[in-house]
Amino acid sequence: MLSAEELDRYGRQIMLPQIGEEGQERLKRAKVFIAGAGGLGSPVSIYLTAAGVGHLRLVDHDIVDITNLNRQVAHWTADVGRRKVESAREKLSKLNPNVTVETLNTTISDKNVSELVSGFDLIVDAMDNLPTRYLLNRTAIEHGVPFIHGAVNGFEGRAMTVIPGKTACLKCIYRGPVPESKFPVIGVTPGVIACIQATEVIKYLVGIGDLLGNRLLAYDGLNLKFTEFKVQRNPECEHCAHL
Amino acid sequence: MAVKVNLHQTLRQFTNGQEMIEVHGNTVGECLKNLVKKYPAMESSIFANNGKLSNVVEIYLNLQSAYPNELAKPVKDGDEIHVTMMLAGG
Repeated sequence: MLSAEELDRYGRQIMLPQIGEEGQERLKRAKVFIAGAGGLGSPVSIYLTAAGVGHLRLVDHDIVDITNLNRQVAHWTADVGRRKVESAREKLSKLNPNVTVETLNTTISDKNVSELVSGFDLIVDAMDNLPTRYLLNRTAIEHGVPFIHGAVNGFEGRAMTVIPGKTACLKCIYRGPVPESKFPVIGVTPGVIACIQATEVIKYLVGIGDLLGNRLLAYDGLNLKFTEFKVQRNPECEHCAHL
Repeated sequence: MAVKVNLHQTLRQFTNGQEMIEVHGNTVGECLKNLVKKYPAMESSIFANNGKLSNVVEIYLNLQSAYPNELAKPVKDGDEIHVTMMLAGG
């Protein structure tokens, strides 16, 4: 049941025939796991909080550094030196006190990942490294929940939604390990990709629209071009072939 | 077979900024080999030392993922190959 304050707050999206009060109640009942409170995790968590997703669990092990501030919009100058999850929780709670923002200052690992995501409706990939992305991809498949992938570099980004057993997963198109490196990025790029991820989350939770399943959406900010590549499930995929 | 290869922006430094290069070949592999013959400096950005594709490279044929066995995929006149790079940042 939505309160009078919530009906006001979300009025402009409740006006959408695809959402309505029923869709808003679905958002309120939802539990979303966001892996990372950085360049992608900041705008994803801000937009999901603003939209009224009822419960967010935000996980990150980092401290805010001044070099983060060009893109990690949940963190401000005064937050340098604070834990990212604490900095983000403060802003998100002020933005929308109706949302339960649970934060964990921990490293997502093989040992804790299953427990961390247990009970959540979906996983948002807002990580900055490939090994943890694949770990979360596998865990999403094991738990049978969607995995909303996003990644950026420079002016470029990409997004894809994985529905376990129905669409290709990240591992379906895995070519092998790649060396880690510090990546260049302009803050608007994760802003664009995070908004696409948040859109996918809202659509999935409300049960509307066409998700980015079997479609890798590539964004080229320099030429302002989106390209959609079709991907397919790999019958020999280590993560999802058994489904 | 005449095939258009759409290059990822990091590869355009080798083509004087040109995004689309026309090459010939019967497979994706032949097309890419002919591409690096035209632009030898591009080779190490696409291929690993063992002649296989670098792990960061992704190949799409007519906007469809060519994975797995990308290099063996046959091509026909007018096909378009996209050479893109995996992204990991967040």
